Amino acid sequence: MNNALKISGLTKTYKDFMLDHVSFAVPCGSIVGLIGENGAGKSTTINAALGLIQKESGVVSILKRESLDQDIKEQIGVVFDGSNYPEILSPRKLNRVMKNIYQSWDEQTYISLLQQFSLPPDKHIKQFSKGMKMKLAISAALSHHSKLLILDEATSGLDPVVRDDILDMLLDFVQDEEHSILVSSHITSDLEKIADYIVFIHAGKVIFSRPKDELIEQYGILKCGAAQFDALDRSDIIVYRKLDYEWQVLISDREKLQRKYPKALIVPATIDEIMLLYVKGEK
Amino acid sequence: MRGVLVKDLYIAKSNILVTLVSLIVLGFGLSFLLEPSALLVLAPVASTTAVFISITSDAASRWNKNVITMPVSRSQIIGEKYVFYILLAILGMGTALIPCVILALLGVNVTLHALCLYGSIGMSATLLAGGISLPCAYVFDPEKSQIVFMMSFMASTGIIAGLVLLINLFIPVKHHILSVFHIVLLISVFWFILSYRIAAEIYQKQDIT
Repeated sequence: MNNALKISGLTKTYKDFMLDHVSFAVPCGSIVGLIGENGAGKSTTINAALGLIQKESGVVSILKRESLDQDIKEQIGVVFDGSNYPEILSPRKLNRVMKNIYQSWDEQTYISLLQQFSLPPDKHIKQFSKGMKMKLAISAALSHHSKLLILDEATSGLDPVVRDDILDMLLDFVQDEEHSILVSSHITSDLEKIADYIVFIHAGKVIFSRPKDELIEQYGILKCGAAQFDALDRSDIIVYRKLDYEWQVLISDREKLQRKYPKALIVPATIDEIMLLYVKGEK
Repeated sequence: MRGVLVKDLYIAKSNILVTLVSLIVLGFGLSFLLEPSALLVLAPVASTTAVFISITSDAASRWNKNVITMPVSRSQIIGEKYVFYILLAILGMGTALIPCVILALLGVNVTLHALCLYGSIGMSATLLAGGISLPCAYVFDPEKSQIVFMMSFMASTGIIAGLVLLINLFIPVKHHILSVFHIVLLISVFWFILSYRIAAEIYQKQDIT
């Protein structure tokens, strides 16, 4: 399988945090959701992949190239939380800046995206709402024929209507099989809607990297009492959490375990619940 | 690099216009008190303040993080600020020449010797100050770099005085004042280029978050 982005053994150490041999891939034509709580290492991973911070070890390959040269940067669209454009500019002035930065800048695409998002071309960015700034950033990222789109917490703080518009835009983008998206977010419901794969980072380590459908269709939560928990085969337990009145056990194949423990109450797990159990549960 | 320069021109446009108009007004105003060519000392220094407006704006909008993901290298990002600085200094110098030329045409005494002398002093001070403050803008936070920016102009006058005293040991300043200040200008150009290399080297290894 061709990968638009492949990260292998990425390591970066700070005084109080370590990104520990992070490895995962973004296959071409897919959307990969990078999830994890605040401070888990999502942004550090993206920053290291984009060369914003120096990595200590590991290999990052973007569009089959390990060096992040200007040719490759032409083909990457990046959107951070907030617009990150000088607020004194207007979308029209930003167009003049961008067409002098990107050789492949497509003015027509940019203007049609501004129209599609109803963004006024001559209004200063400082007068835009957060949602408008985000739409502008996405318009700019999509206006230079990007093959890989990287979004770091781009939908945080936006209302559901704007988020839905943006998610639709991302789904449109991956209709082309050469296009791929890495999107980091802690709003897992967004990723449940659009992602093909989920990569879960916790305390600087990749806990799992799985197809989303596998997580939604096969993973489950077994809810039981103490006696039933003691009777469980330990190899069936991924993680568990003891609550006031019940035990919650994360399992990877709910149909198989339902057959094995017919009296157990097993329910499907959302990505939020899976994340919560990994973070707060025990092994 | 051109796109980043366009962005900086948009950011600093109003500041540049105000500075240039002020220089012209000041040029005519000064002619009643001083030689109009003395404005050449102040003009390049005053017009470069727009660079620091753009640096502060970049930091506030977190543009530095964004631009690194674009097809612009780190050394080009630094290089652009140095080019912008030089362009503004030259623009300031050119603007200050306007009242000098007009006043000369009206019969006021403006000599080429004075223009060269004051021009060399002004440009030397600007290059020395920029050579100190520009790398610092990428090491310190915006507040500290503004302090460094202001202090760098004071430091540059001290450095010029020191250089003149040093050169005086080999070439008597009284008799070769223009040559001495041309040597100072050459040293300032060398320092400015060296400063670019240092700033690019610092920025190359810096984590941008």
